[in-house]
Amino acid sequence: MRSFDLVEPATLDEAVALLDSQDKSVRAIAGGTALMLMMKTRLFQPTRLVSLRRVNGELRGIRMNGDGGLRIGAMTSLAELEYSPMLASAYPVMSQALRTLSNIRIRNVATLGGHLAHGDPHMDLPPILITLDAKVSAASKRGQRWIGVSDLFAGYYQTSLATDELITAVHVPSQPLGVCCWYEKFTARSADDWPTVGAAVWYSVHSNVITEARVAVSAATDRPMRIAAAEAALTNAPPTAQVFSKAADAAADEVQPISDLHGSASYKREMVRVHVRRALERALNLRSNGAG
Amino acid sequence: MSSGKVIEPPPETKRKPGQVKRSVRRLESKAKVDGSAEYIHNLSLPGMLYGKIARSSIPHGKIRSIDAAAALALEGVHAVITGEDVRRLIPDPYYGPAFHDQPILALEKVRYVGEPVAVVLALDPHVAEEAADLIAVEYDPLEPVFDEVAAAKAGAPIVHDILKPAATFPDLKHLEGQSGTNVALSSRVRRGDLERGFQESDQIFEHTFRNGKVIHAALEPYVTVAEMAGPDALTIHTASQSPSFVRSEVSRLLGWPENRVRVRTAFLGGGFGGKLYIKLEALVAACTLLVRKPVRIALTMEEQFYTITKHGATVRVKTGVKNDGRILAREVETWWNGGAYADIGPRVAQKSGLTSSGPYDIENIGIDSHAIYTNEPPAGALRGFGVSQVVWAYESQTDIIARALRIDPLEFRRRNILREGRPHATGMLMSDIDIDAILDRLAERMDWDRPFDHGSGPIRRGRGIAIGMKACVAPTTSVAMVNIYGDGSCGICCSTVDMGQGSDTAMAQIAAEILGLSAESIRVIHPDTDVTPYDMATLGSRSTYHMGNAVRRAAEDARTQLLRMAATALKTDMEELECRDGAVIARSGARMTIRDVMVARFAMQAGNIIGVGSFIPPYEKPDHDTGQSRQITPFWMLGGAGAEIEVDTETGRIRVTKLVNVGDAGSAINPEIVERQLIGAGTMQFGFTVFEEMIFSEGQVLNASFADYKIPGMLDLPHDLTGELVEVPHQHGPFGAKGIGETGMFCVSPAIGNALYDAIEVRVTEMPLTPERVLRALREAKDQPLGSDE
Repeated sequence: MRSFDLVEPATLDEAVALLDSQDKSVRAIAGGTALMLMMKTRLFQPTRLVSLRRVNGELRGIRMNGDGGLRIGAMTSLAELEYSPMLASAYPVMSQALRTLSNIRIRNVATLGGHLAHGDPHMDLPPILITLDAKVSAASKRGQRWIGVSDLFAGYYQTSLATDELITAVHVPSQPLGVCCWYEKFTARSADDWPTVGAAVWYSVHSNVITEARVAVSAATDRPMRIAAAEAALTNAPPTAQVFSKAADAAADEVQPISDLHGSASYKREMVRVHVRRALERALNLRSNGAG
Repeated sequence: MSSGKVIEPPPETKRKPGQVKRSVRRLESKAKVDGSAEYIHNLSLPGMLYGKIARSSIPHGKIRSIDAAAALALEGVHAVITGEDVRRLIPDPYYGPAFHDQPILALEKVRYVGEPVAVVLALDPHVAEEAADLIAVEYDPLEPVFDEVAAAKAGAPIVHDILKPAATFPDLKHLEGQSGTNVALSSRVRRGDLERGFQESDQIFEHTFRNGKVIHAALEPYVTVAEMAGPDALTIHTASQSPSFVRSEVSRLLGWPENRVRVRTAFLGGGFGGKLYIKLEALVAACTLLVRKPVRIALTMEEQFYTITKHGATVRVKTGVKNDGRILAREVETWWNGGAYADIGPRVAQKSGLTSSGPYDIENIGIDSHAIYTNEPPAGALRGFGVSQVVWAYESQTDIIARALRIDPLEFRRRNILREGRPHATGMLMSDIDIDAILDRLAERMDWDRPFDHGSGPIRRGRGIAIGMKACVAPTTSVAMVNIYGDGSCGICCSTVDMGQGSDTAMAQIAAEILGLSAESIRVIHPDTDVTPYDMATLGSRSTYHMGNAVRRAAEDARTQLLRMAATALKTDMEELECRDGAVIARSGARMTIRDVMVARFAMQAGNIIGVGSFIPPYEKPDHDTGQSRQITPFWMLGGAGAEIEVDTETGRIRVTKLVNVGDAGSAINPEIVERQLIGAGTMQFGFTVFEEMIFSEGQVLNASFADYKIPGMLDLPHDLTGELVEVPHQHGPFGAKGIGETGMFCVSPAIGNALYDAIEVRVTEMPLTPERVLRALREAKDQPLGSDE
């Protein structure tokens, strides 16, 4: 590992000022769980790391918004989220997913902001946040802006953040009562492996008709993304096994999987089919069991 | 029986009084928990230089030039060392236990991606790492060969121009100087009349099974530190399973007498066969001698993938049976992917070859086992020494045959197993075994006679069993010393390496039993070739049997000396005395503590009693053409496994719900540790079976890190995971014990593979049984194949 500068600003303004819009070897570092791996394998060689460790106060914590949704500071650790009663009551689908996200050692230090800004398609929370219609607040020297989580991911390890832009918080809106949500994760090797497929679903049912649906797939694809064809197959249809199966087929047809160590493209396409269908079924079962 | 998920249960109630056959807690437990246990990984010496290895980026090629100028220009770099620098110090710098084929640093040629080409030495490890990246090597690429079967064929690219067998193995001598071949060794076993056996068979089955490469994945990566000990001697501190071999081999390379090379180890953070023979030791010794400063090289987790692996293997099994379920003939041919350097691969091929017809009583047998060079990282010993690869093949086929004959798989095995007094494939008569007892235990723990619910819907259930055997390595030597100090306390000097298997505790129990001490009071002195006597190595489940016998003899020798001294002091006959409860006690009731005896002899608390023991079991070299031998092994290792699994037929994912591992430990010295050894080995092989695999592309390991190469975690383990002891005492084992460290590896893969067939009627012949591989096989069988890649 080559030597580099490590700076630890105390405020967000200082942190933002230390980032560089032109120089990709200047990066912010939070928990470091992903960045350190890239540095150890020399995929990334920084000249300067801007540690957000001391900016904690400003960026850390979960609080209720005026609209009933939650604002989650970007430096909130995944373990803090996992154990948050507020999160568990507002978005049980997130709490559930956090329990098997990587492992406890990672969750103790990895942060929500880093989890999103890394742009890795194998992360668990992005597809869920997409279906919950969450958005991130991003800050730079030029000021603050909002980016929908569904617009955050631009490609394989690519985001729509500028090089000198930081995620400061994630806003998750309050969810309609009785909405059906589930995240289905499939790992092909060990339980704590990165997923081969992640499938998040969100839909509302009124009078036995699905009135609105969101389906997002991750890991199998180059970035987490909504699957319009699957959503169309669900909308205005009854929540039946047949409809779920049709939506899953539509998802499998629409995705463009990439082959990697977690599976071949054709296997991943099949796994998208299986897990979108299972997610749709589990979401409904949960609601009818009163657990959702 | 003990459950796998409890880390350390309360001490078991004593089976019977005494020091052996008692579940003594490991002597080092507390030190391991509080962090005070010594590991070489933590060793730092004043002025020590850190070495970082620059490695080959191509699988096969001639080295045109090595340009170290940029690396040397980097501030803080002390030296850059290449193969030619090493050659100035050591004229013939090739090492290896079977062949002297591996250069300390690449010379003229590279033979695999990741082969060490140069070393940077610096006071700062990060500087060394950065400089290693700056070394520019130019190659003239040569055509590589990766597949073991292809590499064995005529016309394949040749990995080594000339074969260079080590002189230590007379049976390799005929290979010396051979050229134009990648076959490092072909080993044969012939028994009966194979052709007639097949002719008389009602049915013949022939299948080929494969497994990929996996690694040891020890939590402590390879590490060696060396320093000058005066102007013409070396001390090597190394995480090694074979300190005695390291001393001999480094001395041979340097042309020094062994007494100028001192090799010491500490606890190992796992070994599993990886830390055997020479790994970093020759390189670090050469660096130290070249710069005359202490040098440390510690590999990263990632570099372990370029050091030593388990063998990938292709195994063809052809079996002839009568319709009544008797096996008449079996032919087994195995190609072992040994990678670029032989390491101990030829021995893996030979030793695992000789038991590759299985624990079955078959009259007509033909075995051929080929150690093959390829342009992949070297393969060597990995817990089981090739046995799990051949058991995967023959026990998968045993299941196929039993089902074809419509005979219960357990019953089919009963009709064919080897029993006491019957000849093994090598001709040696089986003794001190009871395979029926293993099958009985499997049947009981698996509820084999009860109906089994195979499930419906997408999740199907299945169960399977397998049995397997190994011949413990021979011939090998162990020497031990038992030292009684002036105050009556006791130390054991032996070169067995405690790498987590509990050997310190077992050796203490054996000496304690003989000297009438408590095992907990004995100190085991860790291997240091200046202090502890010779031991072949800690490998192949040999330590309890071989070193256990040496320690037993050393303790008996010490006891004889002690009793003689006490007899003089008490003015009685030695025969009147025994060692008990930390004292010498006479039949008359007179009692002296051991300290009293020492004081009586040396006039104060002083002196030593040094007992010495050595052990070399009898062995008869197998016939070169037929593999026949009356004494091929000191003891047979036998085991069995049973698995219950759930298969998700939509994803192909296997969930093992129950895994029973039965092993014959002889009379176990420490039953609790033995059960845990079975569970530990079972867990390791479980990972190899369901998802562990090194993935190669043109010789490059694509998943050379623990981010991308996954080993099982707690959430992956079968909920019902047990180790089951079958105790068939061995007449020559210490207190009847046999070795057991590898037994739990043998049978797990075919037990799971057979359970997979039981669940979904699909046979997968290649490991690991990844979800994709299983789903593809399932969809193929249903005539709805998954598309090939897009």
